[in-house]
Amino acid sequence: MRKILLVVILGLGVAAASSLSRYSNPVAADSSQTTAVFDSDGKMKLPVGYRRWVFIGAPLTPNALNNGKANFPEYHHVYVEQKNLDAYLKTGAFPEGTVIVKELTRVLNPAFPDGSRSEPSGRGYFNGEYNGMDVTVKDSKRFAATNGWGFFNFGHHPLPYAESAKEASVAECAGCHMSFVAKTDMTWVQFYPILRDGDKTK
Amino acid sequence: MAYLVRLAIGVLLMAATAVSPQSGDKGPVFTNDGSLVLPSGFRSWVFIGGPITPNGLNDGGAPFPEFHSVYIERENLRYYQKNGKFPEGTVLVKELALAQVGAHPDGSLDSASGRGYFPSTLNGLDVMVKDSKRYSKTNDWGFFTFGHHAEPYESAAKESPQCAYCHIASVAKTDMVWVQYYPLLKSKID
Repeated sequence: MRKILLVVILGLGVAAASSLSRYSNPVAADSSQTTAVFDSDGKMKLPVGYRRWVFIGAPLTPNALNNGKANFPEYHHVYVEQKNLDAYLKTGAFPEGTVIVKELTRVLNPAFPDGSRSEPSGRGYFNGEYNGMDVTVKDSKRFAATNGWGFFNFGHHPLPYAESAKEASVAECAGCHMSFVAKTDMTWVQFYPILRDGDKTK
Repeated sequence: MAYLVRLAIGVLLMAATAVSPQSGDKGPVFTNDGSLVLPSGFRSWVFIGGPITPNGLNDGGAPFPEFHSVYIERENLRYYQKNGKFPEGTVLVKELALAQVGAHPDGSLDSASGRGYFPSTLNGLDVMVKDSKRYSKTNDWGFFTFGHHAEPYESAAKESPQCAYCHIASVAKTDMVWVQYYPLLKSKID
Protein backbone atom coordinates (compact mmCIF):
# COMPACT_ATOMS: atom_id res chain seq x y z
CA MET A 1 0.00 0.00 0.00
CA ARG A 2 2.79 2.36 1.03
CA LYS A 3 4.65 1.49 -2.17
CA ILE A 4 1.56 2.07 -4.29
CA LEU A 5 1.04 5.52 -2.77
CA LEU A 6 4.66 6.44 -3.33
CA VAL A 7 4.31 5.40 -6.97
CA VAL A 8 1.12 7.47 -7.27
CA ILE A 9 2.85 10.55 -5.80
CA LEU A 10 5.86 10.14 -8.05
CA GLY A 11 3.54 9.67 -11.01
CA LEU A 12 1.76 12.92 -10.20
CA GLY A 13 5.07 14.72 -10.08
CA VAL A 14 6.21 13.32 -13.41
CA ALA A 15 2.86 14.15 -15.01
CA ALA A 16 3.04 17.72 -13.71
CA ALA A 17 6.61 18.12 -14.94
CA SER A 18 5.83 16.77 -18.40
CA SER A 19 2.76 18.98 -18.77
CA LEU A 20 4.87 22.01 -17.85
CA SER A 21 7.62 21.06 -20.31
CA ARG A 22 5.11 21.23 -23.14
CA TYR A 23 5.07 24.98 -22.68
CA SER A 24 8.82 25.45 -22.89
CA ASN A 25 10.13 25.89 -26.40
CA PRO A 26 13.33 24.14 -27.49
CA VAL A 27 14.36 27.03 -29.77
CA ALA A 28 13.64 29.79 -27.26
CA ALA A 29 16.30 32.43 -26.60
CA ASP A 30 19.18 31.84 -24.20
CA SER A 31 17.10 32.51 -21.11
CA SER A 32 14.71 29.69 -20.27
CA GLN A 33 12.23 32.30 -19.02
CA THR A 34 11.59 34.03 -22.34
CA THR A 35 8.66 33.80 -24.72
CA ALA A 36 10.85 35.06 -27.59
CA VAL A 37 11.26 32.45 -30.33
CA PHE A 38 13.92 32.68 -33.02
CA ASP A 39 14.31 30.63 -36.19
CA SER A 40 17.62 29.19 -37.37
CA ASP A 41 18.42 32.46 -39.23
CA GLY A 42 18.05 34.47 -36.02
CA LYS A 43 14.74 35.98 -37.12
CA MET A 44 12.22 36.51 -34.35
CA LYS A 45 8.79 34.96 -34.68
CA LEU A 46 5.75 37.21 -34.23
CA PRO A 47 4.81 37.12 -30.52
CA VAL A 48 1.41 35.65 -29.65
CA GLY A 49 -0.96 36.35 -26.78
CA TYR A 50 0.59 39.73 -26.01
CA ARG A 51 -2.75 41.54 -25.76
CA ARG A 52 -3.27 39.47 -22.58
CA TRP A 53 -0.03 40.73 -21.09
CA VAL A 54 0.02 43.79 -18.83
CA PHE A 55 -0.61 47.04 -20.67
CA ILE A 56 1.74 49.69 -19.25
CA GLY A 57 0.96 52.80 -21.30
CA ALA A 58 0.19 54.33 -24.66
CA PRO A 59 2.16 57.26 -26.05
CA LEU A 60 0.45 58.91 -29.00
CA THR A 61 2.26 60.56 -31.90
CA PRO A 62 -0.49 61.57 -34.36
CA ASN A 63 0.49 61.82 -38.02
CA ALA A 64 -1.12 65.26 -38.12
CA LEU A 65 1.34 66.58 -35.49
CA ASN A 66 4.31 65.04 -37.33
CA ASN A 67 4.20 66.51 -40.83
CA GLY A 68 1.66 63.91 -41.89
CA LYS A 69 3.91 60.96 -41.17
CA ALA A 70 4.86 59.94 -37.62
CA ASN A 71 7.75 57.50 -37.28
CA PHE A 72 5.41 55.29 -35.24
CA PRO A 73 1.86 55.86 -36.52
CA GLU A 74 0.10 56.68 -34.26
CA TYR A 75 -0.88 55.17 -30.86
CA HIS A 76 1.83 53.02 -29.23
CA HIS A 77 0.25 50.38 -26.96
CA VAL A 78 2.99 48.82 -24.85
CA TYR A 79 2.71 45.39 -23.21
CA VAL A 80 4.98 43.37 -20.92
CA GLU A 81 4.46 40.02 -19.23
CA GLN A 82 3.36 40.14 -15.58
CA LYS A 83 6.41 38.24 -14.29
CA ASN A 84 8.80 40.64 -16.03
CA LEU A 85 6.88 43.69 -14.81
CA ASP A 86 7.00 42.30 -11.25
CA ALA A 87 10.76 41.73 -11.57
CA TYR A 88 11.24 45.26 -12.90
CA LEU A 89 9.28 46.77 -10.02
CA LYS A 90 11.36 44.78 -7.55
CA THR A 91 14.82 45.34 -9.02
CA GLY A 92 14.60 48.35 -11.37
CA ALA A 93 15.79 46.26 -14.31
CA PHE A 94 14.07 43.91 -16.73
CA PRO A 95 15.16 40.27 -16.41
CA GLU A 96 16.94 38.41 -19.19
CA GLY A 97 14.45 37.20 -21.77
CA THR A 98 12.00 40.07 -21.27
CA VAL A 99 9.90 40.79 -24.36
CA ILE A 100 8.30 44.23 -24.69
CA VAL A 101 5.65 44.59 -27.39
CA LYS A 102 4.61 47.94 -28.84
CA GLU A 103 1.49 47.61 -30.97
CA LEU A 104 0.49 50.61 -33.06
CA THR A 105 -3.01 51.79 -33.88
CA ARG A 106 -4.17 54.63 -36.09
CA VAL A 107 -6.34 57.39 -34.63
CA LEU A 108 -10.04 57.30 -35.40
CA ASN A 109 -11.26 59.50 -38.29
CA PRO A 110 -9.47 62.84 -37.79
CA ALA A 111 -11.75 65.90 -37.98
CA PHE A 112 -9.45 68.80 -37.00
CA PRO A 113 -6.14 69.74 -38.67
CA ASP A 114 -4.25 68.31 -35.66
CA GLY A 115 -5.88 64.91 -36.23
CA SER A 116 -8.21 65.14 -33.24
CA ARG A 117 -11.99 64.87 -33.25
CA SER A 118 -14.81 65.86 -30.90
CA GLU A 119 -16.65 63.16 -29.02
CA PRO A 120 -19.02 63.32 -26.01
CA SER A 121 -16.06 62.88 -23.62
CA GLY A 122 -14.22 65.85 -25.16
CA ARG A 123 -11.92 66.74 -28.00
CA GLY A 124 -9.05 64.38 -28.46
CA TYR A 125 -7.84 61.17 -30.04
CA PHE A 126 -9.47 57.76 -30.12
CA ASN A 127 -8.13 54.41 -31.26
CA GLY A 128 -8.68 53.44 -34.89
CA GLU A 129 -7.40 50.28 -36.53
CA TYR A 130 -4.36 48.26 -35.48
CA ASN A 131 -1.37 49.43 -37.47
CA GLY A 132 1.79 47.48 -36.74
CA MET A 133 4.14 46.06 -34.18
CA ASP A 134 7.64 46.63 -32.83
CA VAL A 135 9.28 44.35 -30.29
CA THR A 136 12.32 44.53 -28.04
CA VAL A 137 13.93 41.46 -26.47
CA LYS A 138 16.46 41.54 -23.64
CA ASP A 139 19.27 39.04 -24.16
CA SER A 140 22.65 40.31 -23.05
CA LYS A 141 24.59 37.65 -25.00
CA ARG A 142 22.69 37.69 -28.28
CA PHE A 143 22.36 41.48 -28.36
CA ALA A 144 25.56 42.50 -26.57
CA ALA A 145 26.35 45.04 -29.31
CA THR A 146 23.16 47.02 -28.60
CA ASN A 147 23.19 47.27 -24.82
CA GLY A 148 21.58 43.89 -24.22
CA TRP A 149 18.40 44.48 -26.24
CA GLY A 150 17.40 43.37 -29.73
CA PHE A 151 14.88 45.35 -31.80
CA PHE A 152 12.40 43.91 -34.30
CA ASN A 153 9.86 45.54 -36.60
CA PHE A 154 6.94 43.38 -37.80
CA GLY A 155 5.64 46.12 -40.08
CA HIS A 156 3.89 49.44 -39.62
CA HIS A 157 0.63 48.57 -41.39
CA PRO A 158 -2.77 46.99 -40.65
CA LEU A 159 -3.11 43.32 -39.68
CA PRO A 160 -1.77 40.81 -40.51
CA TYR A 161 1.76 41.67 -39.40
CA ALA A 162 4.91 39.93 -40.69
CA GLU A 163 5.26 36.37 -39.37
CA SER A 164 8.91 36.92 -38.51
CA ALA A 165 11.38 39.78 -38.44
CA LYS A 166 15.14 40.06 -38.61
CA GLU A 167 16.96 42.20 -36.08
CA ALA A 168 16.58 45.87 -36.99
CA SER A 169 19.72 47.88 -37.67
CA VAL A 170 21.23 50.15 -35.03
CA ALA A 171 20.22 53.15 -37.14
CA GLU A 172 16.58 52.04 -37.26
CA CYS A 173 15.97 51.40 -33.55
CA ALA A 174 18.75 50.72 -31.07
CA GLY A 175 20.69 53.91 -31.81
CA CYS A 176 17.94 56.16 -30.50
CA HIS A 177 17.39 54.02 -27.40
CA MET A 178 21.14 54.01 -26.70
CA SER A 179 21.32 57.80 -27.09
CA PHE A 180 18.37 58.62 -24.86
CA VAL A 181 17.58 55.84 -22.40
CA ALA A 182 20.70 53.69 -21.98
CA LYS A 183 20.61 54.38 -18.23
CA THR A 184 17.02 53.20 -17.75
CA ASP A 185 17.39 49.74 -19.31
CA MET A 186 16.84 51.12 -22.84
CA THR A 187 13.22 52.04 -22.08
CA TRP A 188 11.51 55.44 -21.72
CA VAL A 189 10.27 54.46 -18.26
CA GLN A 190 9.01 57.99 -17.62
CA PHE A 191 6.17 57.43 -20.12
CA TYR A 192 4.80 54.40 -18.27
CA PRO A 193 3.09 55.24 -14.97
CA ILE A 194 3.24 51.71 -13.61
CA LEU A 195 6.97 51.35 -14.33
CA ARG A 196 7.61 54.67 -12.67
CA ASP A 197 5.24 54.51 -9.71
CA GLY A 198 4.43 50.80 -9.32
CA ASP A 199 1.03 49.11 -9.18
CA LYS A 200 -0.43 50.44 -5.95
CA THR A 201 -3.78 48.69 -6.37
CA LYS A 202 -2.29 45.23 -5.94
CA MET B 1 0.84 5.75 5.98
CA ALA B 2 -1.51 8.53 7.08
CA TYR B 3 1.36 10.89 6.28
CA LEU B 4 1.53 9.57 2.71
CA VAL B 5 -2.22 9.98 2.25
CA ARG B 6 -1.99 13.58 3.47
CA LEU B 7 0.98 14.16 1.15
CA ALA B 8 -0.99 12.82 -1.83
CA ILE B 9 -3.97 15.04 -0.97
CA GLY B 10 -1.63 17.98 -0.53
CA VAL B 11 -0.07 17.48 -3.96
CA LEU B 12 -3.52 17.33 -5.55
CA LEU B 13 -4.69 20.46 -3.68
CA MET B 14 -1.61 22.39 -4.75
CA ALA B 15 -2.21 21.39 -8.36
CA ALA B 16 -5.85 22.50 -8.13
CA THR B 17 -4.94 25.83 -6.49
CA ALA B 18 -2.32 26.56 -9.12
CA VAL B 19 -4.76 26.40 -12.03
CA SER B 20 -7.77 28.12 -10.40
CA PRO B 21 -8.32 31.78 -11.30
CA GLN B 22 -7.70 34.48 -8.73
CA SER B 23 -11.17 34.72 -7.30
CA GLY B 24 -10.40 38.11 -5.74
CA ASP B 25 -10.26 39.66 -9.21
CA LYS B 26 -13.58 38.30 -10.46
CA GLY B 27 -16.75 40.32 -10.69
CA PRO B 28 -17.94 43.37 -8.77
CA VAL B 29 -17.84 43.53 -4.96
CA PHE B 30 -20.38 45.69 -3.12
CA THR B 31 -20.58 46.99 0.43
CA ASN B 32 -23.80 46.54 2.47
CA ASP B 33 -25.06 49.97 1.41
CA GLY B 34 -24.61 49.25 -2.32
CA SER B 35 -21.32 51.05 -2.83
CA LEU B 36 -18.88 49.40 -5.21
CA VAL B 37 -15.53 48.36 -3.74
CA LEU B 38 -12.48 49.60 -5.69
CA PRO B 39 -11.65 46.82 -8.19
CA SER B 40 -8.29 45.12 -7.74
CA GLY B 41 -6.00 43.46 -10.24
CA PHE B 42 -7.54 45.26 -13.21
CA ARG B 43 -4.18 46.19 -14.71
CA SER B 44 -3.73 42.47 -15.41
CA TRP B 45 -7.02 42.38 -17.33
CA VAL B 46 -7.12 42.93 -21.09
CA PHE B 47 -6.50 46.51 -22.21
CA ILE B 48 -8.90 47.32 -25.06
CA GLY B 49 -8.01 50.89 -25.94
CA GLY B 50 -7.01 54.30 -24.69
CA PRO B 51 -8.83 57.46 -25.82
CA ILE B 52 -7.04 60.66 -24.89
CA THR B 53 -8.75 63.98 -24.29
CA PRO B 54 -5.87 66.38 -23.52
CA ASN B 55 -6.59 69.31 -21.20
CA GLY B 56 -4.90 71.48 -23.84
CA LEU B 57 -7.67 70.67 -26.33
CA ASN B 58 -10.49 71.05 -23.79
CA ASP B 59 -10.20 74.60 -22.45
CA GLY B 60 -7.62 73.52 -19.88
CA GLY B 61 -9.90 71.04 -18.11
CA ALA B 62 -11.04 67.86 -19.86
CA PRO B 63 -14.00 66.09 -18.19
CA PHE B 64 -11.83 62.95 -18.09
CA PRO B 65 -8.18 64.05 -17.75
CA GLU B 66 -6.50 62.88 -19.94
CA PHE B 67 -5.57 59.33 -21.06
CA HIS B 68 -8.44 56.83 -20.62
CA SER B 69 -7.06 53.28 -20.39
CA VAL B 70 -9.94 50.80 -20.54
CA TYR B 71 -9.69 47.26 -19.14
CA ILE B 72 -11.99 44.23 -19.21
CA GLU B 73 -11.65 40.68 -17.96
CA ARG B 74 -10.75 38.27 -20.73
CA GLU B 75 -13.80 36.00 -20.50
CA ASN B 76 -16.11 39.02 -20.77
CA LEU B 77 -14.20 40.29 -23.81
CA ARG B 78 -14.49 36.86 -25.47
CA TYR B 79 -18.23 36.80 -24.69
CA TYR B 80 -18.64 40.25 -26.26
CA GLN B 81 -16.69 39.24 -29.36
CA LYS B 82 -18.94 36.21 -29.75
CA ASN B 83 -22.32 37.72 -28.87
CA GLY B 84 -22.04 41.47 -29.48
CA LYS B 85 -23.01 42.29 -25.91
CA PHE B 86 -21.45 42.07 -22.48
CA PRO B 87 -22.50 39.33 -20.04
CA GLU B 88 -24.15 40.05 -16.68
CA GLY B 89 -21.55 40.94 -14.07
CA THR B 90 -19.15 42.53 -16.56
CA VAL B 91 -16.91 45.18 -15.01
CA LEU B 92 -15.31 47.80 -17.25
CA VAL B 93 -12.53 49.86 -15.69
CA LYS B 94 -11.38 53.17 -17.14
CA GLU B 95 -8.18 54.39 -15.52
CA LEU B 96 -7.09 57.95 -16.23
CA ALA B 97 -3.53 59.22 -16.59
CA LEU B 98 -2.32 62.78 -17.05
CA ALA B 99 -0.22 63.64 -20.08
CA GLN B 100 3.33 64.92 -19.75
CA VAL B 101 3.26 68.70 -20.03
CA GLY B 102 4.63 69.77 -23.38
CA ALA B 103 5.70 73.12 -24.76
CA HIS B 104 3.08 73.36 -27.51
CA PRO B 105 -0.17 75.32 -26.95
CA ASP B 106 -2.19 72.10 -27.29
CA GLY B 107 -0.13 70.55 -24.49
CA SER B 108 1.71 68.16 -26.78
CA LEU B 109 5.35 67.30 -26.19
CA ASP B 110 8.32 66.87 -28.52
CA SER B 111 9.89 63.49 -27.83
CA ALA B 112 12.40 61.24 -29.56
CA SER B 113 9.53 59.32 -31.19
CA GLY B 114 7.78 62.48 -32.40
CA ARG B 115 5.37 65.17 -31.26
CA GLY B 116 2.42 63.92 -29.30
CA TYR B 117 1.02 62.97 -25.92
CA PHE B 118 2.80 60.76 -23.39
CA PRO B 119 1.39 59.46 -20.09
CA SER B 120 2.76 60.83 -16.82
CA THR B 121 0.96 60.03 -13.54
CA LEU B 122 -2.16 57.95 -13.00
CA ASN B 123 -5.12 60.22 -12.35
CA GLY B 124 -8.34 58.45 -11.43
CA LEU B 125 -10.71 55.60 -11.99
CA ASP B 126 -14.24 55.22 -13.35
CA VAL B 127 -16.05 51.88 -13.43
CA MET B 128 -19.14 50.43 -15.11
CA VAL B 129 -20.91 47.29 -13.88
CA LYS B 130 -23.53 45.41 -15.87
CA ASP B 131 -26.36 44.13 -13.66
CA SER B 132 -29.80 44.23 -15.25
CA LYS B 133 -31.64 43.87 -11.92
CA ARG B 134 -29.65 46.30 -9.83
CA TYR B 135 -29.38 48.95 -12.57
CA SER B 136 -32.56 48.43 -14.59
CA LYS B 137 -33.23 52.21 -14.49
CA THR B 138 -30.01 53.03 -16.33
CA ASN B 139 -30.09 50.51 -19.17
CA ASP B 140 -28.60 47.66 -17.07
CA TRP B 141 -25.35 49.40 -16.20
CA GLY B 142 -24.22 51.05 -12.95
CA PHE B 143 -21.66 53.86 -13.03
CA PHE B 144 -19.08 54.67 -10.36
CA THR B 145 -16.25 57.15 -10.00
CA PHE B 146 -13.42 56.57 -7.55
CA GLY B 147 -12.07 60.08 -8.04
CA HIS B 148 -10.27 61.97 -10.79
CA HIS B 149 -6.98 62.50 -9.02
CA ALA B 150 -3.69 60.77 -8.28
CA GLU B 151 -3.61 57.55 -6.28
CA PRO B 152 -4.82 56.49 -3.81
CA TYR B 153 -8.35 56.32 -5.24
CA GLU B 154 -11.44 56.05 -3.02
CA SER B 155 -11.79 52.59 -1.48
CA ALA B 156 -15.52 52.47 -2.36
CA ALA B 157 -17.88 54.56 -4.51
CA LYS B 158 -21.62 55.19 -4.53
CA GLU B 159 -23.52 54.86 -7.79
CA SER B 160 -23.28 57.97 -10.02
CA PRO B 161 -26.44 57.76 -12.13
CA GLN B 162 -25.65 61.13 -13.76
CA CYS B 163 -22.93 59.33 -15.77
CA ALA B 164 -25.58 57.14 -17.38
CA TYR B 165 -27.35 59.94 -19.23
CA CYS B 166 -24.58 60.55 -21.73
CA HIS B 167 -24.22 56.81 -22.35
CA ILE B 168 -28.00 56.42 -22.80
CA ALA B 169 -28.11 59.41 -25.17
CA SER B 170 -25.15 58.31 -27.31
CA VAL B 171 -24.57 54.55 -27.11
CA ALA B 172 -27.71 52.85 -25.80
CA LYS B 173 -27.77 50.64 -28.91
CA THR B 174 -24.23 49.31 -28.40
CA ASP B 175 -24.65 48.08 -24.80
CA MET B 176 -23.85 51.54 -23.38
CA VAL B 177 -20.25 51.47 -24.62
CA TRP B 178 -18.55 53.51 -27.37
CA VAL B 179 -17.41 50.30 -29.03
CA GLN B 180 -16.09 52.23 -32.01
CA TYR B 181 -13.10 53.43 -29.91
CA TYR B 182 -11.86 49.95 -29.05
CA PRO B 183 -10.20 47.87 -31.77
CA LEU B 184 -10.50 44.64 -29.77
CA LEU B 185 -14.28 45.03 -29.44
CA LYS B 186 -14.64 45.64 -33.16
CA SER B 187 -12.62 42.57 -34.14
CA LYS B 188 -12.74 38.90 -33.23
CA ILE B 189 -8.99 38.71 -32.69
CA ASP B 190 -7.44 37.50 -29.46
